[in-house]
Amino acid sequence: MFGKGLFKGMHISLKRMLGPNVTEYYPEQKPTLSPRVRSSMGLDPDKCISCGICANTCPNKVIALTSEKDENNKKVLKTYHMDVGRCLFCGLCTEACPTNALTVTQQYENAVYDAEGLKWDMIKRHRQQTGKEG
Amino acid sequence: MTLERTEELALNLGPQHPSMHGVFRMIAHFDGEIITKIEPKIGYLHRGLEKLAESRTYAQFIPYTDRLDYLASPHNNMGYVQAVEKLAGIQVPERAEYLRVIFAELARIASHLVFIGSLALDMAGWTAWGYCFRDRERILDLFEMTAGSRLTVNAMRIGGFSQDVPDEFWPALKSFLDDLPEMLEEYQGIFYGNEIAMGRMKSVGILPKELAENFSTTGPVLRASGVKHDLRKDAPYGIYDRFDFEVPVLNGCDSYDRGLIRLLEIKESAKIIRQAMRDIPEGPIMAKVPKVLKPPVGEVYHAVENPKGELGFYLVSDGSTKPARCRIRSATFINLQLLPAISIGWKIQDVIAIFATLDAVLGEVDK
Repeated sequence: MFGKGLFKGMHISLKRMLGPNVTEYYPEQKPTLSPRVRSSMGLDPDKCISCGICANTCPNKVIALTSEKDENNKKVLKTYHMDVGRCLFCGLCTEACPTNALTVTQQYENAVYDAEGLKWDMIKRHRQQTGKEG
Repeated sequence: MTLERTEELALNLGPQHPSMHGVFRMIAHFDGEIITKIEPKIGYLHRGLEKLAESRTYAQFIPYTDRLDYLASPHNNMGYVQAVEKLAGIQVPERAEYLRVIFAELARIASHLVFIGSLALDMAGWTAWGYCFRDRERILDLFEMTAGSRLTVNAMRIGGFSQDVPDEFWPALKSFLDDLPEMLEEYQGIFYGNEIAMGRMKSVGILPKELAENFSTTGPVLRASGVKHDLRKDAPYGIYDRFDFEVPVLNGCDSYDRGLIRLLEIKESAKIIRQAMRDIPEGPIMAKVPKVLKPPVGEVYHAVENPKGELGFYLVSDGSTKPARCRIRSATFINLQLLPAISIGWKIQDVIAIFATLDAVLGEVDK
């Protein structure tokens, strides 16, 4: 009978309409993300040994770091910048990090108003997030 | 009385297609309401991925393959890493092989759900679209909890898999598979059984078997024209020869069958995943691969059956850390060539449906 399919479809819609909601009321409600989610990057400068493997692994040359030698002739991290505007968030850098200094984090609200905001000073961000500064 | 002829009308559609396909533009020429010619314009999403591969190491190119057919990125990963493994002669651990199959088949289901949703949406069926995306979300959650990303999954590595699945993965996967038959029944009821959808798709956009073969069409588009061709069966790669599944073939050659075949393929993919879940062994997920990978001088072509058809990678190695040449044979680039051929003689609203049934993803077309 013509129209049977239409009624069946309407029946399904009606059933779903009266069922529970499946959407999330963002930003009032925020999702809980798995600790593996690659939304952002975080650096622990104390763990970093300035080996530069992360910068070499990056497919897009996002990471730039400089280091200097201390009195024991050991490398100490001086600056660590990420140009996240170019970042693919592939996570290859965090996989390559031998000391787990560079990790993925779940902060997904990374939108900024100008391109300058996409140049992250990772040491400064770490200090801000741990409350040591600002 | 003299019969007056009207002028031919050229109508621009796009470049923004209001759906999931990406940025595509076509110029349609009409005689009255009937299409006389279609000029597809592609290239809006061109990023030069083949050239980018030449300036990246073999491992660094994996995240870029995610951006080919972004609706099924594990397939792109799989095609590429298997091509490199073939070139370098790397043996992959069993567990990684099974995880690859599970991810690939989940991606096939996710991609087909987007297809069904966007096909419905192209015909103004908003409700079916919502249901497909609601269910696809559960697959994306599975990707997210394992690999850390939903769309550009980047899950596979040369020689294995990036990370093992977390404990909560298996119950979530099982519950998804248990709910799948009910979901499919829902799509059948709301979309495929709908008389309006049938009226707009049945006997519309006929793609005869010979034409499909002559255009080198692959994937569900070819199988809906009565040709049984599936690389998973015809040229098994990875461990696909171990699974028991059917290759659905339909003989309608029309838009409706090209749509319906995806629904049947989802069922077969679920069958493969269940078998993989049952047989997956414990063990390592990464083979021993040198940190600086230098495959021997040579060339290789490796193709996988992605949700749209044959996705092939042709790699040439000059013995250095970077490929000398990378050529990508993308299924939708070739399938999309059918559009001008099978659209002539149909009305504008039919062409929108025909385009949707070709399931073009412009990330893969433009590369």
